[in-house]
Amino acid sequence: MRSSLWRACIGTSANLALPDNKVIEMSRSDAIAQIESYFDQGGFIEDLSRRVSIPTESQNPERMSVLYGYLTDEMQPTFERMGYSCRVLENPREGAGPFLLADRHESDDLPTVLTYGHGDVVLGYDEQWREGLSPWILTQEGERLYGRGTADNKGQHTINIAALETVLRTRGSLGFNSKLLIETGEETSSPGLKQLCQENKDLFAADVLICSDGPRLSPQRPTIFLGARGAYNFDLTVDLREGGHHSGNWGGLLANPGVILAHAIASITSATGELYIPEWRPPGIPDSVRNAVHNLVIDGGEGAPEIDPDWGEPGLTGAEKVFAWNSFEVLAFKTGNPEHPVNAIPPHATATCQVRFTVGVDPEEFIPALSRHFEARGFGMVQAEPAKKGYMMATRLDPDNAWVQWAVASIQKTTGKEPAVLPSLGGSLPNDVFADVLGLPTVWVPHSYASCSQHAPNEHMLAPIAREGLQLMTGLFWDLGEAPPAWEAAA
Amino acid sequence: MSREAAISGALACFDDGEYLEILGRRVAVPTESQNPDRLTDLQRYLVEEIGPAFEAMGHSCTIFDNPVAGGGPVLLAERIEDPGLPTVLGYGHGDVILGYADQWYEGLDPWTITQRGDKLYGRGTADNKGQHTLNMCAMAAALAARGRLGFNSKFMVETGEENGSAGLKEIIEANLDAFAADVFIASDGPRVSPDRPTLFLGARGAKNFDLVVDLREGGHHSGNWGGLLANPGVVLAHALSTIVSETGKIRITEWLPEPMSNSTRALLADITVDAGEDAPEIDPDWGEADLNPAQQVYGWNSFEVLAFKTGNPEHPVNAIPPRAHAHCQIRFIQGSKREEFLPALRRHLDEQGFANVEILPPPPGNAIDFTATRTDPDHPWVRWTAAAIERTSGQATAVLPQLGGSICNDLFSETLGLPTIWIPHSYAACSQHAPNEHILLSEVRDAIQLMAGLYWDLGEPGTPG
Repeated sequence: MRSSLWRACIGTSANLALPDNKVIEMSRSDAIAQIESYFDQGGFIEDLSRRVSIPTESQNPERMSVLYGYLTDEMQPTFERMGYSCRVLENPREGAGPFLLADRHESDDLPTVLTYGHGDVVLGYDEQWREGLSPWILTQEGERLYGRGTADNKGQHTINIAALETVLRTRGSLGFNSKLLIETGEETSSPGLKQLCQENKDLFAADVLICSDGPRLSPQRPTIFLGARGAYNFDLTVDLREGGHHSGNWGGLLANPGVILAHAIASITSATGELYIPEWRPPGIPDSVRNAVHNLVIDGGEGAPEIDPDWGEPGLTGAEKVFAWNSFEVLAFKTGNPEHPVNAIPPHATATCQVRFTVGVDPEEFIPALSRHFEARGFGMVQAEPAKKGYMMATRLDPDNAWVQWAVASIQKTTGKEPAVLPSLGGSLPNDVFADVLGLPTVWVPHSYASCSQHAPNEHMLAPIAREGLQLMTGLFWDLGEAPPAWEAAA
Repeated sequence: MSREAAISGALACFDDGEYLEILGRRVAVPTESQNPDRLTDLQRYLVEEIGPAFEAMGHSCTIFDNPVAGGGPVLLAERIEDPGLPTVLGYGHGDVILGYADQWYEGLDPWTITQRGDKLYGRGTADNKGQHTLNMCAMAAALAARGRLGFNSKFMVETGEENGSAGLKEIIEANLDAFAADVFIASDGPRVSPDRPTLFLGARGAKNFDLVVDLREGGHHSGNWGGLLANPGVVLAHALSTIVSETGKIRITEWLPEPMSNSTRALLADITVDAGEDAPEIDPDWGEADLNPAQQVYGWNSFEVLAFKTGNPEHPVNAIPPRAHAHCQIRFIQGSKREEFLPALRRHLDEQGFANVEILPPPPGNAIDFTATRTDPDHPWVRWTAAAIERTSGQATAVLPQLGGSICNDLFSETLGLPTIWIPHSYAACSQHAPNEHILLSEVRDAIQLMAGLYWDLGEPGTPG
């Protein structure tokens, strides 16, 4: 019933004297052919270059007007051209970047898809990029498209927007209701996003979340992931006294904060990264999750770092370590004046640390457990302070969910490849807002790969993945306007 | 004329503000030897400040260019009154460590002397401009009192001490006659406490080195890779934790000196390390368990992490850093096996499973590598000097076998073969290698009298030898 209603909405090909299914097939392949020429004739590079050139560093407070500009001058005109109505939503958190919600409502009888992206990027670190590269200038070298945001996330939402526009142009309508949410604070842990969604559930109401961020399992293999590890950042500080003191006159008399902090860190994990604090360890790996990930082979692609097989939890496969277990990182550590060292005992030492965690542990317990652990070992002088921006919760959707099966089939139809299905991504996303606050099944289709240097200098996207991503997203959005079985099943 | 006249002349130099005026001018020359752009300032300090002051005291001056590229020059002032008189070699260094102007207290500037209460702030006030300026003023007072010194004076001022005195050894070795003397008497470093006149006879050595864990090129997203890639910060923290305990006890046997002799233990048993007001609180549980603070710092070895960096500490991002780096230091007394330090560390790291921790040379800007040396506390010149100071001060002089800090004492004790006697005029809490460096004016006023008395006594009969 619904299928025929949707078909009536479709403008193209309806008068061709061919069986319906044949008509659809031609139009689907027509849409995919169009998106291929969008890529092959440089349209994608042009759109992405423009977006990369906008330095939307959300960790830099001076970029606030740039974040606004990305939404009002770049995103909004694009969406309005596609018949979306747009509104910029102020961040309820002071000093945090705005949101753009674009809405194209075709019919109350059609499913509504929420698609999310983030326009902000991490800091450029211009001077650290390889000779000839700049974070703000898209540069193609072979298969690589270098530039800040190419992988995270401008390249990915540019793919999805282009796929939507292609479906719209080919069909004359989308065949579903579409909401697009672009935020500008993801790299500072999405301040205000949860509050905004909690307070405006109607505005964001949808039937499914389909969007893109993060890496494929391997560059060649289309991937779907259904949640993400959480991320809990915190600082460790050893602040012993004011000012440095001559290491000759005082060496042996004054405690060295760098030595103490090194010892404190060494008590958190083994020298090979095995977590020592019980409250930081997952209770185990559920069978369904273990089955999904056990045999996955992580292939970061060309230029990927070599995996250290002896790092992390003993007895787990690489995929289990990153998709189903917790990890601890020292993201930064400083004592003294590393750039211009002097012969003084430094007065303090600080480390910025992080726990990545799966569903099954309580992040609220991380710091209390750490403090108890330090107290018991004589490190009471080591202060642990959670990051002001809060943390990202862990989420995980059941791989058997109907939307997942539908998406797998669509991607397989387009690419001829069986997509990898990851219960949760290693990296963190604000997915709990969609999964828990809005109650949506969450389907993420990543268009990057693990070695993309996304939070480091020389960030890049792989052109072949971008091209294939455009194809499969066009197919996915095309199929969504046909007959999403998952939604029918849900209804 | 008399000893008292020499002392009162020196006192007048301080009380009338002449000392402060000279020191203010000298502090204003930004002689950062760790900053290659300051080479002309090093030159200027010797030519415009030190040379004219010694010429006014009837010395002739020679400037030696540094044979090490980028190293600052060395000045030797000389006043030979009679070859039959004893020759005293003095020493000072005109260079200072980096200013770090933005880290000083509000209202203070490293290149401007500022008096606040008993403290006189400014880079070099303690280390070493304030000290050699004090000795020069005291010598001028003794000279004025007697009309001649009564001994032969040689006084050298180098400009690379804060950078390991690069080139100084070569200059001295090439000019042994020019630097020849009977005794070395100079000032640097701190007293055991601000009101106790102190001699030290040598110094702990210091060896800086770097530890680097360089695992791969570039950072990698901590979510996508967390659990799969070794974290260099974690590895280096673990490696450091095997080198030294969490309370600072050195864990590598080859880094420790022979057990402390009973005589050294006794010499230091009654010395209280009192660094004065605002000194940092000593951590009694730090270091070797059975040593008191004086024994710890004047008679034992210590290890420091001077700097540690991984990731981007000022702007952390969620990436596993590729590299971690610690700049480290061993301070050690004479008798330690300095040439064994790094080979022993390599063996230790390998045994502990840290083959991926590299030992690298320290950065050129902070590459100190000093030998530990000292003069025997029973040497006649030591006893004579302690007594000369006691004649003025009226209290027992503290005698330390070696200073905690490192100085280039080996050039004088080994290369020139002199008994080495240091008479420090600063105190331990002077922040000498940090922002807010200062000297105590009360200590300067006391010390300028002691030095005038000493320079007077050097011109009297009865000196050793």
